[in-house]
Amino acid sequence: MAPNDDQATAPAVGTAMAAILAAGIGAFAMGLFVILNEAGVFAAPSLYGPSGGVSGRTTFAAIAWLIAWVVLHNRWKGQQVESGRVFALTLVLVGLGVLFCLPPLWGLL
Amino acid sequence: MNTLLFSSESIWTMLHGLVLGGGAMLALAAALFAMRAMPATPAMDAPDARARVQSRYLTGLLVAIAVLLWLTVIGGTYIVFPPYRATPPEGLTDLSQYPRAFLLSSPGTAWLHRFGMEVKEHVPWIAAMLSTAVAFVGMQYRTTLLSDSRLRRMSSTMLAICFALVAGVALLGVFINKVAPLE
Repeated sequence: MAPNDDQATAPAVGTAMAAILAAGIGAFAMGLFVILNEAGVFAAPSLYGPSGGVSGRTTFAAIAWLIAWVVLHNRWKGQQVESGRVFALTLVLVGLGVLFCLPPLWGLL
Repeated sequence: MNTLLFSSESIWTMLHGLVLGGGAMLALAAALFAMRAMPATPAMDAPDARARVQSRYLTGLLVAIAVLLWLTVIGGTYIVFPPYRATPPEGLTDLSQYPRAFLLSSPGTAWLHRFGMEVKEHVPWIAAMLSTAVAFVGMQYRTTLLSDSRLRRMSSTMLAICFALVAGVALLGVFINKVAPLE
């Protein structure tokens, strides 16, 4: 897609959008690990006994976030990306991540 | 005679909730206000000294938010949460030293664990990730964060989401600590 005049003069936001979308992926990963655990599909192992399973779920989500960030950063660094679409996707991912962390939803599983 | 006014668990809880979490909320409110109130240098103009100074302050604030939130969630998960979830010895009737067991022992307070603490275990990590992304954008783009309307709008939205998540979780923390404090 050819950039329009605004995009041609605007600063490249690829680096920013990589960080923002990665945060959305991390949020979704957090919700996913929680809901998979509650559904009995996958339980992240406890990495610190006194904290229990939350130590595994949060660490796994943080790792997913960092991996997504590195991959997206290398792909989009210095480039112009469609910030509106990427940000909308980020908001959806964050919304789902938060939703999956809410116990009333687990009762529906 | 025990002359300590607060136990170490109580001090850690205050550090976690009031100092770090409360500090993050204050900084989030300040950053949201700054993003709204700070004038933007037109994108085509070279940033002047004032623009550089205000972006430096704003970036410092954004980094402080991320650092405070990460310290809050890591301290919460690895220092405050273990004594909260400790299992009481068999047959113990006074559960006041075991907050999770105490909350679950009564139908009137069980929701504080089953909803409140379950949310507190995970949602703040999402806020920490979002705030880190905004801090990174601030560090990477400096004056452009304020002059580019897209970056400014997206960063403000992310900060507002962070604030809502942290405020909600903080409120749940107050409820839990009011009913079943770590002592």
